[in-house]
Amino acid sequence: MADLTGWLDDYFFGTLVVLQVFFVALGLSVVFGLIGAAARLSQSRIANGIAKVYIVVFRGTPELLILLIFYYGIAVTLTNVARYFEPTAGFVNFPPFWAGATAIGLIVGAYMTETFRGAFQGVDPGQVEAAQALGMSRFQVFVYVRMPQMWRLALPNFGNHSLSVMKDTALISIIGVQEIMFVAEMATTVTRKPFTMYITVALIYLLITTFITISIAYLEKYANRHLRGSR
Amino acid sequence: MSFNFDLVWSSLPLIIQGLGMTLKLLFLSSLIGLFLALFILLLRISGRWYLMWPAMAYIYVFRGTPLLVQIFVIYHGLPQFDFIRESIFWPVLREPFGCAVLALSLNAGAYVSEIMRGGIIGVDKGVKEAAMALGLPRWQQFIYVTSPIAIRLALPAYSNEVVSMLKATALASTITMMEMTGVARTLVARTFAPYEIFISAALIYLALTYALQQVFAWIESHASRYVKKER
Repeated sequence: MADLTGWLDDYFFGTLVVLQVFFVALGLSVVFGLIGAAARLSQSRIANGIAKVYIVVFRGTPELLILLIFYYGIAVTLTNVARYFEPTAGFVNFPPFWAGATAIGLIVGAYMTETFRGAFQGVDPGQVEAAQALGMSRFQVFVYVRMPQMWRLALPNFGNHSLSVMKDTALISIIGVQEIMFVAEMATTVTRKPFTMYITVALIYLLITTFITISIAYLEKYANRHLRGSR
Repeated sequence: MSFNFDLVWSSLPLIIQGLGMTLKLLFLSSLIGLFLALFILLLRISGRWYLMWPAMAYIYVFRGTPLLVQIFVIYHGLPQFDFIRESIFWPVLREPFGCAVLALSLNAGAYVSEIMRGGIIGVDKGVKEAAMALGLPRWQQFIYVTSPIAIRLALPAYSNEVVSMLKATALASTITMMEMTGVARTLVARTFAPYEIFISAALIYLALTYALQQVFAWIESHASRYVKKER
């Protein structure tokens, strides 16, 4: 423990970065998941095909590789674009935070697509018909009837996917985001106590994932509160 | 900005040199992970708190922390202790290969044992009762009645786990292993053509994922052949 003195503030700010990446990536994964599910459920064959390719590619490629493609790929593309307008332009650096968060969002979004698709299909068609019979517009049916019931069905898998988002955030230290893995590396070079430093990272992650698990369990209980009396 | 296809063709054979290492990591760690998972599972379902408790703690820790952190704790962290450097395990733990296999196996052990437990929970209670009524001893009930059904039930989840283990082997590149991602990263450092090289690597991973899924689909249909007959 004594070895950690002086590093705790670095770990604290590193944890804040991890949480930032987590929330941005989780938000993006929900957005990509909803778009993907909408495409999968649509009548359009093209949208369906694109969504299928998206799922296969992002679920079949290592997360690290996607992260590297994004980070270096965007940098190279931006540099080329810059040089097109200004031939003497130097190398353009893309913020690794956004490259990482987008990559993680896309990866987990592929998993979310399948979860949301299943959840949308799980909503009782009678409910949708009843809403239509009441004269609700398609938009109203979506927002007031399908969405609230879809969330409830998607929650258990959503919880697992948000845990994957959390665990994938560890990868972004590889592309140079200064989060807790980076802090541990820095602290190791100074103190020569790698185990202490990396085990601290593990404990922080364990704490956060435990918190996520508990929150999801609570949310599930809240989402299923209407079922409590019937059992 | 142009996509250089010649570079793809010239780099593919180089990346494939890393394929052997990727497959070696995958095969060894899934094999060790399987045995470990079985051991953890037996502890977990033993019904004795002093056996269940360590198994649950193990699963909790290894599923709650990122694999990358586990790899770093083992590879960078363990040498902090003199007793590890002097132990008989040092020749294994000194090499990045040994550390990668150890981390991947430990991680897989936790996930696979939960998958196996899911399979066992799914076995129909009546079947277990029937086995009990036949007077089979507990271990025979487990081996001859519960296991065959549980394995079939757990296969789809297990095939997903093997695919994610394939993707996880890419993380070994962070501790200097020259598997496919590692080779791709050194090639990118030399040529600075991230799209061409990383996408070539991604294509090989996708092909491997597809092959694994096909193999498991065949095993699944073989294992469930009696289900089809019943219909």
